[in-house]
Amino acid sequence: MGKTTLSINLAHAFARAGFNTLLVDADPQGSVGLSLTRQSRLLSGFYDFLADPSIPMERLIVPTRLETFALVAAGQASDYEAGNGSSGAHLARVRAFLRNAAARRYDICLIDTAAGLFGVTNDIISSTDAIIIPQQAEPLGIRSVPKLLEGLNRLRIMNPRLNVLGVCLTMLHQGLAESTEAASALHQLLPAEMLFQTFIPRDDIFIRASAKGLPVGALENGKGAEIVFDSLRAEVQAKLARSRATTNYQPH
Amino acid sequence: MDPVNPWLDPSEVRRLAEQLLRPVAPARLSAADPGFDAAFVGFVSGGVVADLPQPTKSAPVAVQQAPTTSSVPPLPPTIQPTASAPPSPAAPPIFQPVPEPLAAASSLTRFLQRIHIFRDWLSKNFQATDIFILDREGKVIFDESGHGRLHFMARNFAAASRGSGNIHVKIGPSAILEVIPCETPYGSIVLGALLPDALPVEQINTITQILIQTASPA
Repeated sequence: MGKTTLSINLAHAFARAGFNTLLVDADPQGSVGLSLTRQSRLLSGFYDFLADPSIPMERLIVPTRLETFALVAAGQASDYEAGNGSSGAHLARVRAFLRNAAARRYDICLIDTAAGLFGVTNDIISSTDAIIIPQQAEPLGIRSVPKLLEGLNRLRIMNPRLNVLGVCLTMLHQGLAESTEAASALHQLLPAEMLFQTFIPRDDIFIRASAKGLPVGALENGKGAEIVFDSLRAEVQAKLARSRATTNYQPH
Repeated sequence: MDPVNPWLDPSEVRRLAEQLLRPVAPARLSAADPGFDAAFVGFVSGGVVADLPQPTKSAPVAVQQAPTTSSVPPLPPTIQPTASAPPSPAAPPIFQPVPEPLAAASSLTRFLQRIHIFRDWLSKNFQATDIFILDREGKVIFDESGHGRLHFMARNFAAASRGSGNIHVKIGPSAILEVIPCETPYGSIVLGALLPDALPVEQINTITQILIQTASPA
């Protein structure tokens, strides 16, 4: 838990700030689509677009109540190549998708990928401008950080313009020593500019929002929690401005 | 007890992180190799990996179908046992294996000698440039290209071929990246090279056979 929560709420924060935002569910096991109606969930999605070049982009886009916020679900073919495919196999279709999104003048296309550096996720990272790495504040997860960094360095050979915006700590449990120690260890390990100052606390309201696949602000009493993601959005904007990357970034 | 640091090498983590923060050095590409710009999409050969999605019409890089006609140059029919008999001008390309190794040379040295001779043969007879050979994990065994992205693509294309054979992809106006995965007595290796045109199946087979011999114990 953490990646999809961050994706939904960060995309929502950009949309609330007036950016024309497209949130793409590229995690077949993610829960971005849970917020859609049952009928909408039967629409074609990202994996259908990869599998079938005849599917037009407009068929994928699901508008929301917020005019600046649209979604693309994982789709009916979401089991297809769910991480088992070879890297490179879908590079062309992923890039076609991003070109289509850019042509529709989205300011931000944020892609919630499947965890791990393989298959379609690799093709997405090989095609995007920037990446955010959500990292749970717990010891086991942090032990995997070197492997992740190593993999990203390898992918930057393929995509030299990939801007690693940094690691965002999620599920930080202030009352649990292991969680705060893990966060502290990560701060010691990584250069300061590699870590977002904003972290996502472990809080019931985030868990409730995550369970429903909704942005936290859509819940009763959730408006106050939006400030966390507004802060993260401001950091992302600043980092993107510094790197002059303006579109197509995705969390891992 | 610290729950994290005993599992990590802090200096290695920091090195990897700092590397990510640095801009990637531009690849050594000439103006004649525009295939790696933003327009490059990296299709594999449609004839090899059947279950891959087909390119859209707007894709700037076309799928290269492996030619199968007999209008190609004759293939190297044999492997000469020594280097002392050069082929006649009319003869097809002949691979000349390594000379007798020096007694003091290590097996690695002998292997690299054979690879260099193979490289010269490939270059001379097929106008191949930027030749490289990767092991099954994608690590470089031999490289004269200096292009990390070529290695990356070759490794991924070889994996995508799922044992179906060679893959080639057009990466520039007159540059084809030919990727030949190959099983040798030492394990799986991947040959990559830039060629002016795609090669016919017969020549791919010949290159594969000679590469297997090259990468076999002397």
